[in-house]
Amino acid sequence: MHWTTEHLFVYTIQNICLKGRGVELLDKLTILADAAKYDVACTSCGVTRTAVKGQLGNTMNAGICHSFSADGRCITLLKVLYSNVCSYNCAYCINRRSNEVPRTTFSPRELAELVIGFYRRNYIEGLFLSSAVLKNPDYTTERMCEALQLLRQTYGFRGYIHAKAVPGTSQDLLVRLGVLADRVSLNIELPSEESLRLLAPEKSKENTLGPMAFVRDGIKANYQDKQLSTVKRTRFVPAGQSTQMIVGATPESDFQILKLSASLYRTMELRRVFFSAYIPVNTDPLLPAGVETPLLREHRLYQADWLMRFYEFNVDEIISEEDPFLDPLVDPKCNWALKHIDQFPAEINKVPYEMLLRIPGIGVRGAKRIVMARRHRSIRFEDLKRLNIALKRAKYFITCNGSYAQGVIFDPTSIYAQLAGETKQKRAKGVLDGQLQLLDS
Amino acid sequence: MDSFSSLIASEQRLFPLLDQRKQLGSQNVGEASFSSLIDDAELIYLYDGSLEGMLSAVFAAFQRHENPEDIVTSHALQESLLSSYVPVQTEEPLAARVRNGILEKLGDSAYEDVKKVFLSDAPHKGGVIFRYLHYAFTAGRWSFTHLAEPAVADFLEIRRQVESEAHHMLMFVRFAQLSNGMFYAHIEPKASVVPLITDHFAQRLNVQPFIIYDSVHNLASVFDTERWWLVSADEINAAEHSRAEDDFQSLWQTFYDTIAIEERRNPTCQRNFMPKRFWGNMCEHIPPELRKQKPTTKTPTHAARLQAAGQKLLEEPA
Repeated sequence: MHWTTEHLFVYTIQNICLKGRGVELLDKLTILADAAKYDVACTSCGVTRTAVKGQLGNTMNAGICHSFSADGRCITLLKVLYSNVCSYNCAYCINRRSNEVPRTTFSPRELAELVIGFYRRNYIEGLFLSSAVLKNPDYTTERMCEALQLLRQTYGFRGYIHAKAVPGTSQDLLVRLGVLADRVSLNIELPSEESLRLLAPEKSKENTLGPMAFVRDGIKANYQDKQLSTVKRTRFVPAGQSTQMIVGATPESDFQILKLSASLYRTMELRRVFFSAYIPVNTDPLLPAGVETPLLREHRLYQADWLMRFYEFNVDEIISEEDPFLDPLVDPKCNWALKHIDQFPAEINKVPYEMLLRIPGIGVRGAKRIVMARRHRSIRFEDLKRLNIALKRAKYFITCNGSYAQGVIFDPTSIYAQLAGETKQKRAKGVLDGQLQLLDS
Repeated sequence: MDSFSSLIASEQRLFPLLDQRKQLGSQNVGEASFSSLIDDAELIYLYDGSLEGMLSAVFAAFQRHENPEDIVTSHALQESLLSSYVPVQTEEPLAARVRNGILEKLGDSAYEDVKKVFLSDAPHKGGVIFRYLHYAFTAGRWSFTHLAEPAVADFLEIRRQVESEAHHMLMFVRFAQLSNGMFYAHIEPKASVVPLITDHFAQRLNVQPFIIYDSVHNLASVFDTERWWLVSADEINAAEHSRAEDDFQSLWQTFYDTIAIEERRNPTCQRNFMPKRFWGNMCEHIPPELRKQKPTTKTPTHAARLQAAGQKLLEEPA
């Protein structure tokens, strides 16, 4: 069989055509993507919107990554600024007023055509739209809303949209933005009020947390409304709120950072708190000179964050004021286990699900698989491999039918030495792979 | 509550069957069962490569009370002296009986799983499916939860591989618009996943006609904005790209390069998430010298660096 596409269909081109504006747009995209690349969040999960005939796009609860950039980060959304013409002068930011960098602004139409064109080719799940502060917060948010409205209503786009709200935006505009977007986020930026006053004088705690609380209440009211009504309601920020903060530009400890993020999860009901290890892009007397924050610190903070969100850990179990930094050599779960060695070894065939979750090296999926498999018959060490459970860390902390894994000496000091040694080895190998930043810690 | 009742249900089903098996075992003690064991170990069934053929072979094994080591397609055969090969005729009514048996005894999702495993490229998938069904018809509807059983674990492992390959395709399929308006994607997956992924794209991209062509398994899915169907095709000659296509590819390549943070370069991490075998069909991996258009401007990061360097140069002499 010899098919050509000509045999199958001949369609007239009614598609978007850039009409020679390609090169100009190429430059705009370069500037506005570069200006957005330090934003961390690039997730497309947390909301399901089914497809509708005649309209482009849907969203999946689990989210889909579409590519991975040279730094290993996932690309799932077209992450750009609407504009990088900024009236603020935050010390750490590439787009601050006093930087002499090329400046530009999308037109709503250009942005919409980019999103649609990329989406149709399966490059992206949707749009992540942030912006520098054009004139003032309300003016900026209004421009962003115009662009999103064109995309949603004129182009009928049903894919994912994550919109950054500028601190200090008025409530009317937040409502408008929240109806157009799936996720809205306000950046905390820095882990303490003093740091924010110092490095981002135009922003303040109040004008970040105020809108955040407003969006939280809006989500709640919208959800209750939906529960009570039988007609279909417009959804308000269906994928929830998130925030991000820069780690390492200011002297806050891991303890302060994790306490803050725990309280944000509790009081603001955020879906995610993102951390961003500080990368110097500006030279400023207020900033630590030329020192990059090691990626390993960010990694450990995320591990702690995961323990709070999925493993039912309390922040006080992970970190304490006396010892305010996470151990770079051993992950926070191992650390907890070694400090509470009296609760181990855990018998795989007996301990409840909650305890399985606390065994280092066993994840949520692994714990669920163990619970499922042990209903049928008791589990031996060789069965764990069949359950796809890595024994590298787990083997020190478990027994199967009362016996330890082969060669394991159940002693906290020797376990710590083993695990720390493995981290050191990995980091030494990381240097060969070009991950220099891991060594700096 | 749900899990607890399922546990009881599976045990009730399990025990009478176990008792039956014990009785059978005691009757068969002696040389007859021993010799049949030796014969079974070498036995390999051959089928024509279709799902019906595979299910017919499963039927044959149950009917003849045989325990074939593997069930393989006759054209991909590498004969071994130690095995005896038995070709099995594909018979649709027999295949339908096995299918109905799976649907009735093990449920709809079990049949979906069998179909998924069948899409795998794993050479031993036939044996794995047979051993799973052999186990599951005895152990019952909940046997997919018996994760520590080798027969179940092997089966679910292949299912996992197929599902993960399908998910890779949802991530990495790249459509290109052709001059006739059709969107075309070429893929080279490790399992024949086109039937698993087309629904996703037919819903999401329902405003555009598209073709996804898998050149490893010679299978294409064609979507005309109303419905989609599968076409087996040895070759597809795609028309040339539309005018907008090259622009969009350049834009995407530019975005892809720009969004990476140079200080955090980490090719190992990148390849862990996105193995190199996918790169050939992804336009962002076309090397810079072969690209059609490139941006002319400097990026803000670049400009800020120059500025910072300039300041330093001015400060140093003073």
